[in-house]
Amino acid sequence: EMEDAEFEDILDDWFIESLKTYKDLHVYQLEHPTQVLEWTSGNSVCVAGYSQSKNEILELRLPLKLLADENKSLCAERDFKVSHGGFTDGPVRCLTHIPGTRCAVTNDGLSSDLQVWDLGGEESDVIRRTGSIKGKRSASERGSRIAARPSSAPQVLHGAQISDVQLTELASGETLYKLETDSADPLSSLQFVSDTVFLAGCCNGSVYVADTRTSAPPQLSHSPSSAESVIWWTDAAAGPHPSSRRVIRVSSSGQAVVSDLRNLGGAGCQAQLDVQTPGRCSQVKVSWAPTLDDCISVSGFSGVVQIYNTRLWGAEPQEARPLFEHRGHAVSSQQTDDSVPTFVTSHIWHPERPRTLLSAASDGSVHVWDWVDPNRQGGSPTP
Amino acid sequence: MPEIKVTPLGAGQDVGRSCILVSIGGKNIMLDCGMHMGYNDDRRFPDFSYITQNGRLTDFLDCLIISHFHLDHCGALPYMSEMVGYDGPIYMTHPTKAICPILLEDFRKITVDKKGETNFFTSQMIKDCMKKVIPLNLHQTVQVDDELEIKAYYAGHVLGAAMVHIKVGSESVVYTGDYNMTPDRHLGAAWIDKCRPDILISESTYATTIRDSKRCRERDFLKKVHESIERGGKVLIPVFALGRAQELCILLETFWERMNLKAPIYFSTGLTEKANHYYKLFITWTNQKIRKTFVQRNMFEFKHIKAFDRSYADNPGPMVVFATPGMLHAGQSLQIFKKWAGNEKNMVIMPGYCVQGTIGHKILNGQRKLEMEGRATLDVKLQVEYMSFSAHADAKGIMQLIRMAEPRNMLLVHGEAVKMEFLKGKIEQEFSIDCYMPANGETTTVTTNPSVPVDISLNLLKREMALGGPLPDPKKPRTMHGTLIMKENSLKLVSSEQALKELGLNEHQLRFTCHVQLQDPHSDADTLHRIYTHLKSVLKGYTIQHLPDGTVIVESIVIKVSSSAEDSNTKVLLLSWSYQVKTWTLFLERFTLIYNGVLPGG
Repeated sequence: EMEDAEFEDILDDWFIESLKTYKDLHVYQLEHPTQVLEWTSGNSVCVAGYSQSKNEILELRLPLKLLADENKSLCAERDFKVSHGGFTDGPVRCLTHIPGTRCAVTNDGLSSDLQVWDLGGEESDVIRRTGSIKGKRSASERGSRIAARPSSAPQVLHGAQISDVQLTELASGETLYKLETDSADPLSSLQFVSDTVFLAGCCNGSVYVADTRTSAPPQLSHSPSSAESVIWWTDAAAGPHPSSRRVIRVSSSGQAVVSDLRNLGGAGCQAQLDVQTPGRCSQVKVSWAPTLDDCISVSGFSGVVQIYNTRLWGAEPQEARPLFEHRGHAVSSQQTDDSVPTFVTSHIWHPERPRTLLSAASDGSVHVWDWVDPNRQGGSPTP
Repeated sequence: MPEIKVTPLGAGQDVGRSCILVSIGGKNIMLDCGMHMGYNDDRRFPDFSYITQNGRLTDFLDCLIISHFHLDHCGALPYMSEMVGYDGPIYMTHPTKAICPILLEDFRKITVDKKGETNFFTSQMIKDCMKKVIPLNLHQTVQVDDELEIKAYYAGHVLGAAMVHIKVGSESVVYTGDYNMTPDRHLGAAWIDKCRPDILISESTYATTIRDSKRCRERDFLKKVHESIERGGKVLIPVFALGRAQELCILLETFWERMNLKAPIYFSTGLTEKANHYYKLFITWTNQKIRKTFVQRNMFEFKHIKAFDRSYADNPGPMVVFATPGMLHAGQSLQIFKKWAGNEKNMVIMPGYCVQGTIGHKILNGQRKLEMEGRATLDVKLQVEYMSFSAHADAKGIMQLIRMAEPRNMLLVHGEAVKMEFLKGKIEQEFSIDCYMPANGETTTVTTNPSVPVDISLNLLKREMALGGPLPDPKKPRTMHGTLIMKENSLKLVSSEQALKELGLNEHQLRFTCHVQLQDPHSDADTLHRIYTHLKSVLKGYTIQHLPDGTVIVESIVIKVSSSAEDSNTKVLLLSWSYQVKTWTLFLERFTLIYNGVLPGG
């Protein structure tokens, strides 16, 4: 349990620095750690446990103080509100919210089957399981990736490996589309880049782009590296203009490659990220910032979330320094077992607030932070 | 079955005040007597009509217990005891007893003097009410009467806050009041032993929240103070004499030292004296660290914090001032506020709730123009910051407390049932206990299953064992016969013979007899034999004997046959049985019918 802290303890370097480096900072401790962070509205997120047996899914409403713009100073409310909660029988490795609904879809990482949930409304605060979707594989090492179709009637794209990717209509369970390919590469990411076009990132670094309206074979972009033991994660920027649609791939050795969505194999830019313990990671998350051009965030290598400005990257891989690092999870770790260092399990950007992120770590901590761009800071951080 | 009844007083969804009625083992206890700060009329008082429509409450309540000094828990106390009428014991901890009257008087002054209300309790009523208070020490069992006992536990939250354990016989209830499960800067965390109460009663206000860390609240406080000082502004922090003030002072002092800051920090003198006085009195209630600090040095001998003189308020340049009272409703903090309000570089940080009618309340609601005495208006240009430092348990905290106390049932007050279904399910699943959530004004009845321990005599035990059959277990209790002797405080079960011996009584037996007439020409002995044979065929499974002395015995019923004096064809059956065999009467009636119908020549 937490020990009584001397006043001096809290005034550690990170804390003092944080006065200037963050506009807002909130630190929470969940009962059980989460691997998933998913927006269910502009001010609520879902988290879920990943222990072997029973777990909870929680929908948390962000503190009013964080979201208040006008009367921020008059609002003292800093806590998460558990607006809805439910129980699962197994771990939750992937959770996707269906836009425009109160529905979410999860996968337990053990098979490629999906569970369908009703997040509840005003009449009840219980999250209930309403059904399931059968995947191709009864046993799967990583489980399925899930992506919800942005508009249209509730449909989910899912699969554990590239040849399994299918689009299922939630209401009927009908398979509306299947990706035609023989490759059995396991997936590390799956996302829609438009209402019908999606990108599937494989663990080996290859990326497929396909359109659910056609049965034409997908476009394939091979892995940037042929190294066998390297795992890759992918994120595509969901920009409004086709020209801003870029894709970033990050490897377990810290290599980062940016390319244009329409020209994945072409010359983009690259960098060697400044990650601790490269190679030791399983839950790497890489994400384009929704509103900050060229910014990406990376987590999963350690207890730190890093933000990079890709505009500074060149065609040749060079060491990149992060624009900002959120070290909160590492610094104030609640881990009881010192032999296993805390690592960040997931992070997400707020869809509208430019520099607000949420991050979760293996010790059950969840942080909400609004960082200050060091280039725009007035004056240097205090001693 | 014995039961405990719990009723949160109040109506509908209003959650601004605590006042809970518990009926346990024939005793009625009121837990807290709070004022609802959102209402201006009688709705702010608890609804005592549930207890009695009119008249005093003394006869209906065995005691009243106040958990801590916050007004939503004790604000209606003088009203209840002096205006409605209650002369029974009022229990609260020593710090609560010392601090309550100060807050009540402040509150009274604001309500009557500032808002001009009339139907409110007076200063004298506060004094009279406090005379009825019996102070409690932690972990000390107090006998309210022969049957009712209470014990206070440390709750954290504020100085003197207690959770209370109430016991009547073998039934008990624990009420948490407000508490926190993580240690605070100046208070420890709540603690209770595995007392396994029948019901654990807790507020549900924070049950569905996850609290932001103390560190981040403090960070925000330091950031705001630092930013104001850096731009040359003055920061006013209105505080109550106790509690957060010390914490914030120590925090600022440490920060100033770390950052090598030069701006002065002041502490108004009234605060120092009062605070020192109270801390000396209640040192055992504070956190280990505060105690160490206090013992090592005078609480308010800081390097960077000095005593305030009112002339300093006019000094140029940045400064921080802690001043009372906490809601800016009068005195020094208000004076300073008036001087500093017009400058937008300045800041006022409100560290807690402000009662309606105070300047604090108005500015926290965004009011930027204030009407002062003499119809002067004050333009509020300085920055107003509302920060909450109060320590409350959250969803995780409730689970921790349940794990500590191991109640048989959980009861959450002041929640909306639809918003608490998940928590209810969580508690029920993890602990396999029922979780009740009564609405205000609604009574929850919890059936308890108190076990009454009784000693059994060895002889009786042996006799029962000799009868064979399955051993008794909780799912299949076994009935047994014996005599319960209650002597002084002990209960024992002995055989009837032993009981009679101990009591020096002779055993008497009650035997019933009845005569049944039959028409049967046979001899007495033959008739008896026929009866015997008939009974053997219809009463399979029963022990039936035909004895040489001319009787038939069915289990323990004795049957004799004799002829009627008037007519030898009329036989009279004499049946006799002892008191235990009541059910046989019904059987025998049926037997007569069978006999008459079956035997030929009848």
